[in-house]
Amino acid sequence: MPRTATVDTPPEAPGTTAASPAPATRSKRDILRLHRTEHRWAALFVAAPVIGYLLFTLYPIGFAVYASLTSWNGLGPMRFVGLENYVDLISDEYFHKALFNTFFYMIGIPIGLALSLLLALALNRRIPGRTAFRTIYYVPVISSLAAIAIVWQFAYNGDFGLVNQVLAWFGIQGPDWLQNTATVKPAIIIMAIWKGLGYSTLLYLAAIQSVPASLLEAAALDGANAFQRFRSIIMPMVRPVTFFLVVTNVIAGSQIFTEINIMTPTGGPEFSSASVVWYIVRKAFKYQQMGYATAMSIVLGILVLVITLVQFRLNRRNSFAID
Amino acid sequence: MTTRRKLLAAAAFTVAGTLALTACSGGGDAGGDSGDKTITFMFRGGPDEKAAYEAAIAKYTEDTGTKVKVIVTDADQYATKLQAAVAGNNVPDVFYIEQASLQSYVASGVLLDITDQVENSDVDLSNIWEYGVNSYRFDGEVQGTPDGAIYGLPKDIGPFSFGYNKTMLEAAGIPLPDKDTPLTWDQFVDISKQLTVDKNGDGTLDQWGTGLNVQWNLQSMVWSNGGDWTNEDHTKVTVDTPEFAEALQKFADLTNVDKVTPSASDAATLDTYQRWMAGEIAFFPVGPWDVSVYNDLDFDYDLIPWPTVGDAGPATWIGSLGIGVSATSKHPDDAAKLVTYLSADPEAQQTLVDANIQIPNLIDVAQEWAAEEGAEPANRQEFLDIAQDYGRAMPAAFTYGAEWYDELWTNIQPVLDGKQTAADYLAEVQPKMQTLLDESIANAEQAG
Repeated sequence: MPRTATVDTPPEAPGTTAASPAPATRSKRDILRLHRTEHRWAALFVAAPVIGYLLFTLYPIGFAVYASLTSWNGLGPMRFVGLENYVDLISDEYFHKALFNTFFYMIGIPIGLALSLLLALALNRRIPGRTAFRTIYYVPVISSLAAIAIVWQFAYNGDFGLVNQVLAWFGIQGPDWLQNTATVKPAIIIMAIWKGLGYSTLLYLAAIQSVPASLLEAAALDGANAFQRFRSIIMPMVRPVTFFLVVTNVIAGSQIFTEINIMTPTGGPEFSSASVVWYIVRKAFKYQQMGYATAMSIVLGILVLVITLVQFRLNRRNSFAID
Repeated sequence: MTTRRKLLAAAAFTVAGTLALTACSGGGDAGGDSGDKTITFMFRGGPDEKAAYEAAIAKYTEDTGTKVKVIVTDADQYATKLQAAVAGNNVPDVFYIEQASLQSYVASGVLLDITDQVENSDVDLSNIWEYGVNSYRFDGEVQGTPDGAIYGLPKDIGPFSFGYNKTMLEAAGIPLPDKDTPLTWDQFVDISKQLTVDKNGDGTLDQWGTGLNVQWNLQSMVWSNGGDWTNEDHTKVTVDTPEFAEALQKFADLTNVDKVTPSASDAATLDTYQRWMAGEIAFFPVGPWDVSVYNDLDFDYDLIPWPTVGDAGPATWIGSLGIGVSATSKHPDDAAKLVTYLSADPEAQQTLVDANIQIPNLIDVAQEWAAEEGAEPANRQEFLDIAQDYGRAMPAAFTYGAEWYDELWTNIQPVLDGKQTAADYLAEVQPKMQTLLDESIANAEQAG
């Protein structure tokens, strides 16, 4: 223990191992002073992130909580209205629709994860052009979301879009994807899956490659077939990655905005594609109802927090650890 | 001692480092002393506007010695960026302002009253479109009145006109519509039916009478039928009147009953706009900003008055964007002067007009422009008639925010698809719009 202690050693127990031959009283004072300066320096270094946190996280959150209790246009003075904004939210049918749409988009998360796990398994095999494939699947991830949204908007066009042209080869008359209440959300989900595939695949690939070969060999020797090996060894071993991806995807998914704003600038026919963040931005910057928009953000933040806590809870119960 | 000094230095460094992030919002004015004044001008627009304003600004700097720092944003980001500038207390000295945001910006003390500066300048207000000047007048209660204080000058006014494909009508042997007498609705539908044909005989239509967008074209139909969105003082939503319903129903019938437009799912502007430009559509709206593109098309076109649904005469809307001065500007007089240069400098106006993206702000320049020999479109005068005679402000231009107005469009699709009658839908949406309008009035009172 004493060997590890440096700064934290109490001054009452001066470092007896110190090589100082000086008189005991003086040495004690010196050490005291040394500790004091070191404490100051430590406090200073700790202060930087703490001040940053207070200034750029805690203060804005506190301010937002207050703003959500006011009627405020974002420019002029704020008028305190108590919980009025929150009460209005309960009966705001567009907010309900936006919440529904936002959660609907999350259907894409399990689909995307399943696809990327499959893809990772495929790319893990020694197939020709493996590196090329890995690169190709990763290109959408590093592309600008705004640019991708514009390209997909063209692709989904009912008359001359790529998607309907391909469908036409098979004799299918495709819908006008983004103008139809039934197809606009699936269309956006498909695009989001395509965009996110490369990133999830990359993480899964890394996880699969760190599965000990000995486990797989042992299972093979015991007569486990490929599916059994996948089911009982690979799946559990990549579980931490799955958990990480689910949590981050849910958080990112709850903030979906850019693709919606570009592909359906009016929130889709009959508000069918509008997400919560899209509605928040519209209220805040188009209609200048900053107080109300902030209240929505707070509700969204709380929902995401609750969902994430539940996920952590579930993960703890099912946690898999190698000892 | 040395440690203490070091400590202080480090502390100061840390604090400075933390504050550096916020410091950028603090600075504003570049150099107030030694007569080397700089003001900032923020606007949105394309390369033509930029070129025109560069010329006007160069002249301004030459005349006054005041330098101008220009900030350009794209159209989508402008509102957000301006609001962020306001929140950060770093408002540009001169900036674009929308009609519908004027009241909240005045109420929040962001916009400066520049009545004195404008009236004492050498700008002849009577030579600028009255609608444009009045749009940025506000007396604290009503916007758009001739008595209100001036909070900006028009960047432009945009009379939204109606055009037809001359080449197509001539080829079909249909007499060209008169440029002074508007078509009645029945005449318009009748000609449209004759022009909706399958030209190449492959069994699908490839030419249509028209293809309109409800958000931009319904106004003309409602107004010409004697209906309107609100009563005169913008306090009561009147979309549930029979006149309004008849106009909206006729709009939807163009697709579902008369079948003179591309199918319902193609009603999004992009498609009919593309088809008009490809020469597949006979009648289509024309704004001044469209002229540069339309003049390059493979067919001839010209302007006519909007067809009328009822007997209230032709009607359409005039868009506008204004240029205002920040209430916190350190050089309010210089800033106001820049506004007059941008809005009314003849040379800058000429540059913009030559680019075919707007009609001149100055009436005498505009009249000369309209009378020009061999001009395209030939009937440029229609733009001026709208500006002077039968154009109106958008329904939400002078209310406090446009949320109540946008509500009409949100759920309108079933009417356009023929799945719901216009009257049913309007009865359903009127109370919602009224609630939102009431809220906006309450907000206006709170702010003012």
